[in-house]
Amino acid sequence: MIGKNRRKRTWFAAAVLAAGSLVATSLPAHAETGVSASEIKLGITLPLTGAASPGYNKVGDAMNAYFKYVNDNGGVYGRKITLIQKNDEYSPTLAVAKTNELILKDKVFALVGSLGTANHKAVAKSVGLQRRGIPDLFINTGFSGFADKKVYGTTFPLFPSYYMEAKIMAEFIKDNYAGKTLGLVYQNDDFGSDAVKGFAQAGLKFDVTIPYTSGTQSASTAQTWVSQLAAGKAQVVVMFGVTSATGPLLAVAAAAKYAPQWILGSVGGDATTLRALGVPAAVLTGAQGASFLPSPGDTSDEYVKLFQEVNAKYNNNVAFDNNVLVGMNTAMLTVQALRAAGQNLTRRGLIRAIQSKGSKFASAGLAPLNWSSSSQVGYNGYWFGQYDSAGNMKPLSGGVVVYTTDNAKGAVVKSNYKRPAMPAKGLPNNS
Amino acid sequence: MRKRLLFFILLGWVLLIVGDRVDELRVYQGAQISMYAIALSSIVLLTGYSGQVSLGNGAMMAVGGYAAALTLNNLQTPIWFAFLMSILASAIFGALLGASAARLSGPYLAGTTLALAVGLPALANQFGFLGGEQGILFDVGFPPERFGEEFSQYKWFFWIATFIALISLFITSNILHSRFGRTWRAIRGNSLAAELAGVHSARMKVLAFTISSAIAGLAGAVLAMTISLVSPGAYTLSLSFALVTGAVLAGISSLPGVMLGAVILVAIPEFADVVAHRLGDSEKVITHLPGLIVSVLLILSVIFTPNGPGENLRKHRKKKSAH
Repeated sequence: MIGKNRRKRTWFAAAVLAAGSLVATSLPAHAETGVSASEIKLGITLPLTGAASPGYNKVGDAMNAYFKYVNDNGGVYGRKITLIQKNDEYSPTLAVAKTNELILKDKVFALVGSLGTANHKAVAKSVGLQRRGIPDLFINTGFSGFADKKVYGTTFPLFPSYYMEAKIMAEFIKDNYAGKTLGLVYQNDDFGSDAVKGFAQAGLKFDVTIPYTSGTQSASTAQTWVSQLAAGKAQVVVMFGVTSATGPLLAVAAAAKYAPQWILGSVGGDATTLRALGVPAAVLTGAQGASFLPSPGDTSDEYVKLFQEVNAKYNNNVAFDNNVLVGMNTAMLTVQALRAAGQNLTRRGLIRAIQSKGSKFASAGLAPLNWSSSSQVGYNGYWFGQYDSAGNMKPLSGGVVVYTTDNAKGAVVKSNYKRPAMPAKGLPNNS
Repeated sequence: MRKRLLFFILLGWVLLIVGDRVDELRVYQGAQISMYAIALSSIVLLTGYSGQVSLGNGAMMAVGGYAAALTLNNLQTPIWFAFLMSILASAIFGALLGASAARLSGPYLAGTTLALAVGLPALANQFGFLGGEQGILFDVGFPPERFGEEFSQYKWFFWIATFIALISLFITSNILHSRFGRTWRAIRGNSLAAELAGVHSARMKVLAFTISSAIAGLAGAVLAMTISLVSPGAYTLSLSFALVTGAVLAGISSLPGVMLGAVILVAIPEFADVVAHRLGDSEKVITHLPGLIVSVLLILSVIFTPNGPGENLRKHRKKKSAH
């Protein structure tokens, strides 16, 4: 009898153990927010409507197109990527509200490619991205402050900072336009101020300086800018603003027959968007600008060629411009980051993977990536070119020459960086 | 008054427990409900009691929000002082506005305050120290470490917002039950009769405007806290309309109704989201549907229940109990 009871107890214990093991093995090791056996949910906030939306509203769809391409080719370790886009109208208030929706309601695994300096500062603070360990990948802003690991520990900037861009641009101007009267129009917030600090660090002084408040850009405000620039006889004018400010400035200047040498910052220099905003092709032709990516019209570049194919198949073949290129490049980096984090995907694992392997990721960028355990900086260099009549930025004589620098007092140096070859068919296979 | 105090303490205790039991989304929405409750109470006091129609509450909130942020950022003061300054600044602004608008009534006053709602937040674009369209940060900091790692930022917002809302509603409730509340109701009922009874109608109206602005300013600072910044985009015309709608739906002269109104205002975007999803997630629908719902509710309410469904229910209940 005793033996029978003992046997019963042993069977019972074994059954419980077996059932427990079964349950344990059938459950994922760690149920991470936004990750299931078949899906990875990502989120982005960007201006889909509103004054700042022209151009930027294409970034999310471009990312989605590349993710669809990857999903159709097996996804990331069998998981399909879903990108949820939310419209923040370039308003920090809405950006916070929409990011809260993404995190609390849609329960995304990570944020990717979110756009706007002020928006993102508010989001990082209000939502507490660092404190909650939410990965905030490849943000679409170059504010140098985001590279501060202590404050934005889970945020990975992708663009070279505006501070770096200004330092590099200052050297370019000193080399090419010494002795000319210089003008600067810039957005009077963290975005533009970052650039102003960079110019000051490089020792470049402007004869006419015009700050403008974000949201006030229009044809009538551009009229006052042009009047001031013309009155100051500025021969070379640097525009450090969003596209919706650059557009009216160029259009109004052309109408007033004021034609300085324009040098456009990377944020507001997308040719397709500028032309959609009414800038005549003739005005843009000859303007100079900076970029860390190949020209969107350069089909000899393997990344551009692939992205154009993806654009044709998955993105309704929209006009392929810098915004589409940025979106797809961001998406390709995201896929590599997700792969590098391994099959057992966690937020912490993703952040570590970018820190340890991010600098080796393949991308269309012509400047090096700098993510590491001690650096949150993405690209750190630019090349300068001139817009042709088709709106493509062509390198100045001597081909593409990339210059790199840092977020501090480091010098601007010529880069020897060799870009990694694109993975076969543009489908990352890293681990 | 003691009963009222006990009620608010009990309500606070219940909310604290509920806040601990629900997920983060609901906690965040709880903070928004508290903010709306404060804002709606300012309309109840102004419109429901003193009879002055204002469509500019969003502007008053902006004054409070900017005052709190500028105080915190420039003087590095404790949070409570920033909230205090939001009350003070908006009260002064309200007093000035009330004095200049004392001669106006009905649609004229509504028109003036509407212009304020449109123009005032946009003023931020004209002055660099207000941060333009991008605004300025309003950072109340992380929750104290003694609350533990699990205590989220959202819960911290919820606690602060709820604490402020309970105190604000308690004080407002006492004011409305005092002789001031009775005087305002008398003015609202018949201004001439009230003056014949010795009430200084204009002075009392300015006082109502001042107190209402102070409360709205406080709500503006709470709103700024929940999004960690102040910017014109936070205090739009649609916010002013949403507040009026919430107050009307809750019963324009019912202070307890503000809770219902606040819940409705938080629920509208949720409802709009579900509808937009069914309609195929069109960006235009998602962007404009909440505003459309607010407008339709306001129009329907004004047509069928001019004082709001809440007020009708209350009257219906009173009639029933009289029988």
